[in-house]
Amino acid sequence: MSLWNWLGARLAAFRERPDREKELNRELDSHLELEAEEQLESGLSREDARYAARRAFGNTTLVREDVHAIWSRGSLERFERDLKYGARSLQKNPGFTVVAVLTLALGIGANTAIFSAIDALMLRPLPFSAADQLVRIYSTKNGIPIRGTSAAGGPSALDMRDFRQNSHSFQKMVSYDAWRKNVSFGNSAEPEQMRVGLVPAAYFEVLDIEPILGRLFTEEENHEGKNYVAAINVRLWRERFAGDGAILGQKMRINDEIYTIVAVMPDVIPEWMESARVGPIEVWTPFASSGVLPESSRAERGDFALARMKPGVSLEQAQADLETIAARLATEYPVDESIGVAVKRLRDTRVGILRPMLFLLMGAVSLILLIACVNLANLLLARNSARQRELSVRAALGAGKGDLIRQLLAETFLLSLIGGAVGLALGQIGLAGLGRMHPADLPQLGSIGIDWRVLGFTVLVSLMTSLLFGPAPALTGTRLNLVDALKQGGRSGTSGRTTQRVRNLLVATEMAMSLMLLVGATLLVRSIFRLEHQRLGIRQDHLLKGHIYVPGVHYPNPAAIARFCDDFATRVRALPGIVNATVTTVYPPNNGWTQMLNIPGHPFTRIQDISSAQFGLADRHFLRTLGIPLIQGRDFAESDNAASPPVALISEEFKRRYFPTEDPIGRQIHIGPPAFLQIAPGANITDSADVTIIGVAGDFRNAGLAHPPEPQITVLYSQHPLVNYGFKDIVIRTAAEPRLLVPEIRSQLHALDPDMPFAEVQTMEELVEAQTGGQRFTTILLASFAAAGLVLAIVGIYGVVSFLVAQRKQELAVRIALGASRVTVLWLVLKQSLKMATTGAAVGLFGAWATQKLTSGLLFGISPVDPGTFAGAAVFLLTVAAIASAIPGARVLRIDPARTLRQD
Amino acid sequence: MLILRTLLFGPAHGHQIAKHIQRTTEDVLQVEHGSLYPAVHRMERKGWIISKWEMAKERNREFRYYRLTPAGRKQLAREESKWKQLAAAVATVMWPARRDPS
Repeated sequence: MSLWNWLGARLAAFRERPDREKELNRELDSHLELEAEEQLESGLSREDARYAARRAFGNTTLVREDVHAIWSRGSLERFERDLKYGARSLQKNPGFTVVAVLTLALGIGANTAIFSAIDALMLRPLPFSAADQLVRIYSTKNGIPIRGTSAAGGPSALDMRDFRQNSHSFQKMVSYDAWRKNVSFGNSAEPEQMRVGLVPAAYFEVLDIEPILGRLFTEEENHEGKNYVAAINVRLWRERFAGDGAILGQKMRINDEIYTIVAVMPDVIPEWMESARVGPIEVWTPFASSGVLPESSRAERGDFALARMKPGVSLEQAQADLETIAARLATEYPVDESIGVAVKRLRDTRVGILRPMLFLLMGAVSLILLIACVNLANLLLARNSARQRELSVRAALGAGKGDLIRQLLAETFLLSLIGGAVGLALGQIGLAGLGRMHPADLPQLGSIGIDWRVLGFTVLVSLMTSLLFGPAPALTGTRLNLVDALKQGGRSGTSGRTTQRVRNLLVATEMAMSLMLLVGATLLVRSIFRLEHQRLGIRQDHLLKGHIYVPGVHYPNPAAIARFCDDFATRVRALPGIVNATVTTVYPPNNGWTQMLNIPGHPFTRIQDISSAQFGLADRHFLRTLGIPLIQGRDFAESDNAASPPVALISEEFKRRYFPTEDPIGRQIHIGPPAFLQIAPGANITDSADVTIIGVAGDFRNAGLAHPPEPQITVLYSQHPLVNYGFKDIVIRTAAEPRLLVPEIRSQLHALDPDMPFAEVQTMEELVEAQTGGQRFTTILLASFAAAGLVLAIVGIYGVVSFLVAQRKQELAVRIALGASRVTVLWLVLKQSLKMATTGAAVGLFGAWATQKLTSGLLFGISPVDPGTFAGAAVFLLTVAAIASAIPGARVLRIDPARTLRQD
Repeated sequence: MLILRTLLFGPAHGHQIAKHIQRTTEDVLQVEHGSLYPAVHRMERKGWIISKWEMAKERNREFRYYRLTPAGRKQLAREESKWKQLAAAVATVMWPARRDPS
């Protein structure tokens, strides 16, 4: 029978009930009358005859109920009745109900919030048509993606061209890039630094996005000189141009060049896709090139690469297809040696490094939910044994065991539904909190909310919880011995051994789980503390940094750029409240510009053996501004200028790596790739200059907060025109609060060039905090979960001990009366709860050890099984448990044996 | 089984069924009239019998008459054979000698 038929039949039965009731009455009445008539015939009086008939018949009400039950067994009606009873008994005991609902709501709310986050981050479908066909292509070196999980790890343009020409798994492939540029609209507003997408029309074609207004870029516009056209995001159109219908053909300025707006694009590309800390891309221009790709650019990897697979092509086929081509390229070109390719579905790229964090959080909230369930099971156990008499009376009045269990389960079902509803509300609040934290690593979090998927999840979780915490208490609660329970009356003997054991087990479980949370949270807190208070190798306080871009149109040669930077820094240094300032491309904790080196005495023949170091260009105030100590030799001086021989500062790590035994001062090294790679001098990243090492400076973090400093070489931009690009940062040491000086600094910049934005202004502290945003977010969440878990566990152990004391009151009173000291008796109670707590803690430590994989990826400088943390958390938990059980336990001290023993 | 067997003779109402069982077993099986009704209704729900309000011929009033359905007949046959087996089994335990004369 299908569900619908069944439901239909039940409903029909439900509706026809009054009829059936009437008919049954009529039937029974006629029976009684007949019987009475017969008795009358045998000579009894009318009155007696009726009684005799009744006697022969038996209990009419019972018959009526029995017949009723036959027609309604298992029906909705009974369910309805159970729910009604349940609601009534919950109403009767509001204290219990509130505690239970809050406990559940806490668990369910946390789960709802985290699930919506995970839903938004990982599960929600991409906003593109046939999004399963969309893939990103990454370049790999020895099998490892060259830029890790960053989206900008695509193959070089030349490799991409070869892939495009030789593969047959793809409909379309595209490489593109995104750069920070100075953008201004019209002539009114302040110039701004924005990320501008450099994309050929194929970018939009791959994603299958049509312009709302205007047209896509043409093939011709991808050539330098023809590329002064721009597409803007519809959001930008509304905000900046008030949705002006005549937008097409209007002009805007990008890096001081005039672009014509030719299209308005819909706002569908999610922020995470071109992830960066600078925000979404709202302006696109063509990906211009000179049209001819020189063979020397084959090593220039690091663009973004997107492709759409042909329908029916699997990811494995696409991967194999490209791998074959990559293997051939690797043998043909030396720069492609050990370079491979990886194809990943676009939707799988969206969380990247955050995956372990999300799993950790999911694990944590599941633990919270479990603790909540355990607590509830415990509460119900206690309540059901307190209701023993009520249940016994019911059983005595004829309720079967099944009826009792069903009724108790209906109660838990109701509880979990109410808990779910309240939990949903809590989750909503939690989400608002999450949204506010909104770490830069997780731009997606801006768009989370509760939708039907989350709603479905919550309902499912609520039902699951009722299955988890309901049955055990219901079963033990109904295992009654009628006579005993009634006879005992209010006299509380010891409750059943099983009930007690179940309760102990539950408390131990709770302890174990909250200890796991506690350990995880402590580890993360300690890790993030270390990360943020790490020695960067500089003086971190009172440092401000900002980014500028000196556009090539107005500053056509490296000398002009150098002059502008020098002027700017000089003006800033002259401001009151400023100690020093330096224009540089490198500052802690990240650098990301690696150069190949040619160091005499370090010969190599294979590409893997080429020496390399982190490379930076600065002015001569670099060391002094950042507070990096000079260990050996001399600092840059004013006499080092464009005309004098180029000089360099190296870091201690550099010296350790490349000059372990000899004195590096005065040595000459060549910065740039070796000759056999045939990369032409002056081509983009390469510099043909030979430099003389003049000094060794202290190490500073240049490979991220979590990694030890790599070898660093720093040179003067005035001496290296080939790599003196327009991208520069200024780092400023202030005497006063750095933030207050920003307007002054900006006005100095605008005095030099009114069209140049002063961008990405941050203090060093803010920079470090932003870098740990993801971890901070996880840590705060996990810590609050641990706190919630701890509260629940305390409530649990408190409740159990109170119950225990109440139950053993008589026994304890007897002991006291017989001369046991009260302290001994108190210890008797505490011993029991400490036993539970210790067992739980032991299991919890084991659990934390077993789940170390979850945390290990997020920790820095601390082992996931750090013994100090483990021991500390365990001791802390045991102390808390002892206090939580001592408070109700202290009631033992107030027992008056005479009164207690007489009482019942 | 007894109820079904009673209905084999034709439709009857509750009181008749009770009386009939009592009479035919010579008062050995005193059915408490009340317990008859749950049984009858259970059978009706299982589809072994159907019921209808009909005029009684001898009296001028309506009774609820029960009637055997084909399913009920089959059920009767099944229960009868089961009962026979049971009775035979009980008999062999109680009077083993009689079953084995040799």
